[in-house]
Amino acid sequence: MEQDQRIIVGVYHLSKTFGRHFSLHDINLQVANGEFVFLVGPSGAGKSTLLRMVYMDDFPSSGQVVVGPYVSTRMKRSTIPELRRKVGIVFQDFRLLDDQTVFENVALALKVAGVGLGDIKHQVTDILMRVGLYHKRYDFPHELSGGEQQRVAIARAVANRPSVLLADEPTGNLDPVVTKSILELLFKINAGGTAVLMATHDLDLVKSFGQRIIYLEGGRVVKDKDMIFVGDLREKLADSRVSEKADRLEDHDITGEGGRRR
Amino acid sequence: MNLNAFRYVIDESMTMISRRKAGNAISIVIMGLSLLILGVFLLVTINVQAVIDRASEEMRVYVYLKDGTPAAASRDIQMKLLALKGVEEVVFVSRDEALSTFRQTLGDNKDMLGALESNPLPDAYRLKIKTEYIRSEYMEKLAGDVGKWPGIEEVRYGEQWLARGERLVKGFYVTDLAIGLIIFFSVIFVIANTVRLTVLSRQKTIEVAKLVGATNAYIRIPFLVEGALQGAVAALLAVGLLAVIHLFAKRYLPGVLFMRGEAVSGFVLFCALLGALGSYGAMRRFLKV
Repeated sequence: MEQDQRIIVGVYHLSKTFGRHFSLHDINLQVANGEFVFLVGPSGAGKSTLLRMVYMDDFPSSGQVVVGPYVSTRMKRSTIPELRRKVGIVFQDFRLLDDQTVFENVALALKVAGVGLGDIKHQVTDILMRVGLYHKRYDFPHELSGGEQQRVAIARAVANRPSVLLADEPTGNLDPVVTKSILELLFKINAGGTAVLMATHDLDLVKSFGQRIIYLEGGRVVKDKDMIFVGDLREKLADSRVSEKADRLEDHDITGEGGRRR
Repeated sequence: MNLNAFRYVIDESMTMISRRKAGNAISIVIMGLSLLILGVFLLVTINVQAVIDRASEEMRVYVYLKDGTPAAASRDIQMKLLALKGVEEVVFVSRDEALSTFRQTLGDNKDMLGALESNPLPDAYRLKIKTEYIRSEYMEKLAGDVGKWPGIEEVRYGEQWLARGERLVKGFYVTDLAIGLIIFFSVIFVIANTVRLTVLSRQKTIEVAKLVGATNAYIRIPFLVEGALQGAVAALLAVGLLAVIHLFAKRYLPGVLFMRGEAVSGFVLFCALLGALGSYGAMRRFLKV
C-alpha cells in the first residue's frame, strides 16, 4: 500500500488474534513524520502487541502495517534488520547488555549497521553527550540508576538516527522526577525531527502535554485525535509548556538535524 | 555485510569463545578423543594398505609352457601376452635359468638337486601386471583365459594371498567407514550441544542485537566460527595424540607410516566443516532468527 509521504507509521485494519482470542481488533491509526503521539490504555489493552507489529517482531492476522517504505504484508525476513535500523525501540526494562559498558551498549546499534570504528567512537561520544551520560561511558548498567539506564537505552535507540522512536512504557519503572526527565529527553529527540510513539498506561502523566493521544482499550482504538503534521505542531502547541521546552532544547538538538525543522 | 561488520562479527566470536572457555575445552577434549579413535584406525589402514601395495608391486604371474613347445609358438604366446591389457612386462624365463635360480634359492641344500637326471622345470613367461590391475577378479580371469591357450601348461600367481589381502583391506575400510560415521555424528552432537549452551547463555545479547537491526548473518557467524574452531582444534588435538602414538609404535615397527601432510590438513579442515555443520544444525533448532 502506498501511503502519504508525510506518514511514517500507518496501521490499516489491523487485527491480531492469538488462538480464538482477539488481541487487537481493526486498528487504524497513522503517525506523521516528526509527530509525537501517546498511545494510552490500561494493561492488556494491546499497546505492546501493537508496537511489536510496528517493529515487525510479530505480524498482523489481518490488515497491515506500513513503516516508511516497509509494508508488513510484503516484508521479507531478511529486510527486517533494515527496518529495525530506522525504528528505534525503548522498553520499560531497558534491555541493556549487563556485561558491556554504556559506550559498548550504544555502539552495538552502530556496529550491527557496519559503521566504521572511528565513526562509532565519534557518534557514540556525541549521543552520550546529548543524553548527559558521557562521563559514565565506562560504567556498566548495574552501576547506573534506572533513569540513567533508560537514557542509555534511548541513546542506543536513536544511534542510527531512526525516523521513528517507539517507546513501550519507558517510564514504567521510574519515579515521577526521573519520569519527567525521560519525557523531556523524548521531547528533545522529537524536536530533532524524529517521530515518537510512546505507549503508557498513565493517562494523568501525559494528558497535560497537549500532544495527540490515542486511546486503546480491549484491543480497539476508542478515541483518537487528528494527526499533527510537523508544520502544524508549532501553532497547536504555541502556548504550551512543551514547546517552550522544545525551544529551549533546540540548541542541544539530539539528532543534529534541527535545521530541518520549520 | 560490509567489512566493518565482518570485523565486529569476528571480534564478537572471539569474545564469545573466550567467555565459555571451560565448556569449550570439555567439548574439544571429548571430540579430540573420539577423533583419535578414528585416527588410530585410519593409521592402521594406511599401513596395511602400504604393506599390501608393496607386496603387490612385487607380485608376478608365471605362465608355464608345455614341454616341447616350438620356439615360434613360444614367441607367438609372448606376443599375445604382451597384447593383453594390464600386462606391463613379459620376460622369458628358460628352464635352465629357472633351475639355476632354484639352485641359488636352495643354497646349502642344493645337493638335493643332484638326484635329478634332467631338468624338471618348464620354460615360462614371467608377467609383471600394472598396479591398477592387481585385483582378484582380473587376475582370475587372466589366469583362466591364458590357461586355455594351446601350449600353456599352467598359470600361477599368489591367488590365495591376493584374495586374503584384498579381504583384509576391505575389512579395514568398512571398519573405518563405520567408525567414521559414528564419530561423525558424535562430533556433530557434541558441537550442537555446546552451541546450544552458548545460545542459551547469549539469549539476551541475541535479542538485543536483533532489536537494533543485526542481520541473521551477524548473529549466526560467531556461532559458526565457534563450531568450526572447536572442530579444528579437536582435530589438531587428535592428530597430536596420534603423532605420539605413532612415535611409540615406530620403536617396535620401524617404517610405520604416518598420515601425509595433505591428509592432516584435510582432516583438520574436514573437522572444522563438521563443527560448522553441527553449529548450524543447533542454530536452526535453538536460535529463532
